[in-house]
Amino acid sequence: MTKEAPSTFAFARCEVMIECDKLTKRFGQFTAVDQVSFSVARGSIFGFLGPNGSGKSTVIRMLCGLLQPTGGRATIAGFDVVKETESIKSLIGYMSQKFSLYDELTVSENLNFYCRLYGLSGSVLATRRAELISLTHLEPYLERRAGLLSGGWRQRLAMACSLVHKPGVLFLDEPTAGIDPVARRELWDLLFEFSGLGMTLFVTTHYMDEAERCSHVGYIHLSKLVVCGVPDELKALPVVNPPGTKRLDVTCDRVTTGLQAIRRLPGVRNATVFGQSMHLLVEQTMSEETIRTELARAGIPRADIHPIGPSLEDVFVALTQQRANGTGK
Amino acid sequence: MKSPFHGFNAILYKEFIVVLRDPLTLFFMFFPPLIEMVAFGYALDNDVKHMSTVVLDEDRTVESRRLVEDLVNTQTFRVAGEAESLSEMSAFMRQGKAYVAIQIPPGFTREIHAGRTARLQVLIDGSSSTIALQALNTALTVTLRQSVATLLQQTGRKSVPVEIRPQVLYNPAMRSPNFFVPGVIGVVLQIATTFATAMSIVRERERGTLEQLLVSPLSRWGLMLGKLTPYLVIGMTMAAGLFGVMRFVFDIPIAGSLTALYTSTLLYVFALLSLGLLISTRAQNQIQALQMSMMFILPSVFFSGFIFPRETMPWIFQAIGSCLPTTYFIELMRAIILRGASLDEFGFHLMVLAAMGVGLFALCALRFRQKIA
Repeated sequence: MTKEAPSTFAFARCEVMIECDKLTKRFGQFTAVDQVSFSVARGSIFGFLGPNGSGKSTVIRMLCGLLQPTGGRATIAGFDVVKETESIKSLIGYMSQKFSLYDELTVSENLNFYCRLYGLSGSVLATRRAELISLTHLEPYLERRAGLLSGGWRQRLAMACSLVHKPGVLFLDEPTAGIDPVARRELWDLLFEFSGLGMTLFVTTHYMDEAERCSHVGYIHLSKLVVCGVPDELKALPVVNPPGTKRLDVTCDRVTTGLQAIRRLPGVRNATVFGQSMHLLVEQTMSEETIRTELARAGIPRADIHPIGPSLEDVFVALTQQRANGTGK
Repeated sequence: MKSPFHGFNAILYKEFIVVLRDPLTLFFMFFPPLIEMVAFGYALDNDVKHMSTVVLDEDRTVESRRLVEDLVNTQTFRVAGEAESLSEMSAFMRQGKAYVAIQIPPGFTREIHAGRTARLQVLIDGSSSTIALQALNTALTVTLRQSVATLLQQTGRKSVPVEIRPQVLYNPAMRSPNFFVPGVIGVVLQIATTFATAMSIVRERERGTLEQLLVSPLSRWGLMLGKLTPYLVIGMTMAAGLFGVMRFVFDIPIAGSLTALYTSTLLYVFALLSLGLLISTRAQNQIQALQMSMMFILPSVFFSGFIFPRETMPWIFQAIGSCLPTTYFIELMRAIILRGASLDEFGFHLMVLAAMGVGLFALCALRFRQKIA
């Protein structure tokens, strides 16, 4: 073998860890992934967003060598995912949506199994196992069957299992679906830690707040990549901030009643509820007084108004609408 | 370079834990085959004895009664009732109260004494050809013997012109279990082992753990061999149990060597497990795997010579039979257990089983796609 696959985080020579070029997958008549191109730099946390069925998992599966692309190409650390699948296997870790574990095996046995699967044995196995246990705090559950673990602990075990061979790239397919908020935050803390060590992370998610934590995000909609980039740059895109408009946060009582009133005002481009407040996209010229008056007429005497910047959600909404208009829908 | 069996020890480790963890699974793996074996062994019995028979004796003489006695003494017939008329006799048959009806017409004895041919009517229910044939043979033998005896008396000869000296080999008591039980072992092993491996990879596919294995450096040979080995151990243990039942419950002695017995069984179980694996790599879910396994089990029951001799089958069924590992295994078992044959006398059968096993195993490793779609 000329290209020896390195098994540590050290990929100094390779700055682009994941690269897709017009990657396409068709299942019969249906195009699940349509000419998706992007690249992910070493050490970044790439958040891959999109609604259900938009093609997120299909992209991950192609990158892991599980699915044969119909067109285009993709590389991991320079290795082609189709031609050099075997070299890629020792480079990547994959945590699938279902946290696929062997339910009848204990936590400890699951770890042993995955260690052996990646060719670890003897003292190397013992050391790595101990590292993974302390990393994921699985110690108290070692003798419990995996099938009896709660969602959060299953996720930790699945993560430990996908890390036995110290992969340079870790793919996580909706790692936080169905997990409690504490476990979710702890998982993200871990991910930042890995990223600090030089590991590249590719995470799919539904949650916008998780997207905000990523160093890079991509948004896929109807099989096509809508946008890809650094969150702050995306928020500064002209399409997200149309000229002559501003974004306001309005906090008031009975926010849904207020929203209906505000939507009737001329000059309001977009209005949506956000917890106890509403987020508005309005004409630059609209005064706070106009809003207060309108709310008062709807029976809401007090409102707290202050300007805000766009969120990633605003970015994706704006871009999806732009694309829909552009194609004449 | 990566070993072609990379990951074998990991799969082996996991499979053994999974199989041995749950005592209930183990119980259901071992218990049904033993029950099937005992049930099959007792149920499949061709020895027809004490067939219910209705007698219409219109002659009512000492001779006519002795004839009925002779027939009953063969143990083939049992008098279930005496009919008074022809219609009553046929009612017995129609209602299924008797398989055989013997009608001795009036004047039967008189005809014998007058040196003329006395006629005797025997009606046999032909619904089951095996039973009918045996009834017919017994009736013929008894009357023929009586005719010969009468003729000898009349001609004054001391002995019959031709006499056969039959000697039944290998199963002198001609017990049915001796023929069926070795075959039952073949069929029962097939059911247990094919299902076991047919389910194994499909289950991983359904649970999503297969994806996890496919992104790892596990080689397909390692996966296949790791899946197969635990079941090979279980299959051989099961076979030992079945041979034990055969020897001590059915009291069938093993004429050949145990080495020959186990060598044949090992090759057979390997072929069956490989077949199961092949099903497993093709089937998308457990229902499909189940149906595909059934597809192989039924022909093995009918065309392997397990119940019906293959020689009398139309060529197409004989051809199907020659593609089934069970056919060769059953022939081997009967040869080794009953006739004490040695392995080199059945080298061809062993070669076929070995070729089937290796061929199927290679096929599933080669055809197993390391992609999910």
